[in-house]
Amino acid sequence: MRKVAIVGAGMTPFAEHFALGIRDLLPMAFADCAASVDKGVRKSDIDAAWFGSMGTTDGFPSGILADTLGLHDVPVTRVENSCATGHDAIRNAVYGIASGACDVALVMGADKLRETASKGMLWEWESMTRDMAWDFPLGLAQAGFALHMRRYLYESPATREHMAMVAVKNHRNALNNPKACRRFELTVEEVLAADTVVTPFGVYDCAPQSDGAAALILVADDVVDRYTDRPVWIRGTGLGFDAVMHQHKRDLTSFAATRRAAKQAFGTAGLSPGDIDVAEIHDYFTGIEIISYEDLGFAERFEGFKLLEAGVTEVGGSLPVNPSGGLNTKGHPPGATGVAQCVELFEQLRGQAVNQVDGARTGLAHNVGGPTAVAAVTILEGPGG
Amino acid sequence: MPYIASIGTYLPCWGTPDARIAGDDEDAVTLAVEAGRAALEAGGSVEYVVLVGRDLPLTESSNAAVLLAGLGLDPELEVIERLGGAPATLDALGSARPRTLVIGVDLNSAGAAAALTSDHGLQVRTAARVSRSLPVRTRNASGDIHDYGDPRLLRKRGYLASLATAWVDTPAVVAGVPAQHAASLAATQTTDLPTTGASSALFALAAMAEAGLTGPLVGVEQASLSGLTVAEGTAEVRRRERPARPVLDSAQTLPGEIPISLAAYERAFEAKVRWEGGRFLDSDQVDFPPRYRVDEDGSLDTEYTFVELPRTGTVYTEVTVHVPVPGLRTPYSLVVVDLDGVGVRALVRVTGTAAGSVDIGDRGRLVLRRIAVRSGVPDYGYAFEPDSDPVDEEEAA
Repeated sequence: MRKVAIVGAGMTPFAEHFALGIRDLLPMAFADCAASVDKGVRKSDIDAAWFGSMGTTDGFPSGILADTLGLHDVPVTRVENSCATGHDAIRNAVYGIASGACDVALVMGADKLRETASKGMLWEWESMTRDMAWDFPLGLAQAGFALHMRRYLYESPATREHMAMVAVKNHRNALNNPKACRRFELTVEEVLAADTVVTPFGVYDCAPQSDGAAALILVADDVVDRYTDRPVWIRGTGLGFDAVMHQHKRDLTSFAATRRAAKQAFGTAGLSPGDIDVAEIHDYFTGIEIISYEDLGFAERFEGFKLLEAGVTEVGGSLPVNPSGGLNTKGHPPGATGVAQCVELFEQLRGQAVNQVDGARTGLAHNVGGPTAVAAVTILEGPGG
Repeated sequence: MPYIASIGTYLPCWGTPDARIAGDDEDAVTLAVEAGRAALEAGGSVEYVVLVGRDLPLTESSNAAVLLAGLGLDPELEVIERLGGAPATLDALGSARPRTLVIGVDLNSAGAAAALTSDHGLQVRTAARVSRSLPVRTRNASGDIHDYGDPRLLRKRGYLASLATAWVDTPAVVAGVPAQHAASLAATQTTDLPTTGASSALFALAAMAEAGLTGPLVGVEQASLSGLTVAEGTAEVRRRERPARPVLDSAQTLPGEIPISLAAYERAFEAKVRWEGGRFLDSDQVDFPPRYRVDEDGSLDTEYTFVELPRTGTVYTEVTVHVPVPGLRTPYSLVVVDLDGVGVRALVRVTGTAAGSVDIGDRGRLVLRRIAVRSGVPDYGYAFEPDSDPVDEEEAA
């Protein structure tokens, strides 16, 4: 198996791109990515492309990517894996390069949530993730994750204040990130006083609805020198699952899919949680970040809140989490999210991030979602690794 | 001559003591199921079902299947959906064969009552019947009601004239007229009936059975009436009637269409409406919903049998949705319930209480409700009704 490196990474801002279609966002993200390749990249270098998109905005996703970038001569594969879509596109490209099937692969992710009217969004996206007869008519929406969080708050010492601390931290990080959607400071009191969406989540515990695209250029170690002297290596990937229906999950205080994905990723990387210097963790709802500290092995069970109290996960702490501002401020166009997390880590591990973590050498990115039934973990290591 | 073995009643918890309102997740079928299940609690077999009312969903044939499934009865049973009010219910009872479940149901005021006939029990016999025309209240094809607006005409030339025509001197109890008029017409009308339509006749019969009253029971609808003589015997009465509470003003329903797949609806129907899981012969594990299984060696097993699920359980986790969801009344609560003793959980909506009032660890029962109306189709399933409600306890105190 060949080693695989990221040599270029770029993204559009995550925002309500009413004026830009998916055919605009894809070339924008690709150009941003191509510009980051130290020694340049030609479109003709690309041997294959993997495109993560959960929705089918404007139709057939693979064809739209091939059309917008003029990549009709190489295979383009659309990947859909709910909230883990972006990471799974990366994982598939890694397999393609590692196997020797291709040397240079393009990974893109994009989704447009704001193509649907606000009032139609819920039922349209619910239909992609719920059993049509059983769960769909209940109107789960944000309640799927909330069912976990309610039970977690019941069993653990964590409180809504700790959830609010996640929003405060991630909003502070977003202030410096021009790619984030919600860029203003918050206080714990403001988070707690906001309108309730679904108990125990208030408005600021939830991510904004945004559109966006992100891109990575992945290459084999054999050819990495053509593109950069500072590659970021993909050390491990993992994709884990759990029961689709909430009534079939035995313990809602933890995400089994995350634990499975992390085990795979750390296993292939030959690393442990203590080796991670910076992480982008799924914080579509604030509380998920806290549970994920535990599922990813950064904290003991029911002790995730201690990392927040001690400032461990702030930029400047020993394990900064979501220095980009996270999903909580960027939003979550699912195809793009995991790819964009790796854009942030690419910059962190090359020392170029807006909220740079000093000496960051190893980074982890994580998504969990859909009906909390799938999770992905990708572990990256900086130049010289 | 029929005998009544048992009577069950149900009143939705919403509205006022005089005028109950069906919950957003209730309709004539779910009300009928509640009353029918109450009547069947005492035991006894059923061979025929008669559902009487003027508010039955216009689903073109589906009501019978939902009713039988909700009652846990064989889908081969004959179900008669009978249009009418209190007289029609008494007619159905008077001519019923043994082992017939007669259910009367009303939406305005809302309530349902059911009586199971048998070879023994409380004896009734037909005493009077008059059909006269005085259509002070009509409905057009889309169900819109037109009211003529002359209560005195209705009283004088309606039921008073019909009582005279039928040679009924003094009824013991009258159903189907406003409470204040009933008291003046009847000899032993001790309590106000909660409804005035098809179910009122059976609410009256329940009251007579409980008080040990005998004599003529007259059901009235406009200028038509039907009378039964209630004779000797006893019938067991089971009431599912919680205290009335006002409908919450804060709740709202944003307009919006919830799509449905009728293919998915049909596949799920038995398990979803009968509240059943699936179990394979060699296993103690109950799958809910039932599903095919692939064994370790790759062989397919499709031969599960349906098993009834418990209808009581404990809340494992709870959330309340506050953000308006198009097509659903918000706020609403969702719970994952540990069903008693089977190692099965169910994700269901909460019913019969204010949103946000159920907590982890609360006990309750699973009841048939109309979960949603999707593309015009009533979608039935189960909801969690908490056992004791803080509001109920306050009112009782």
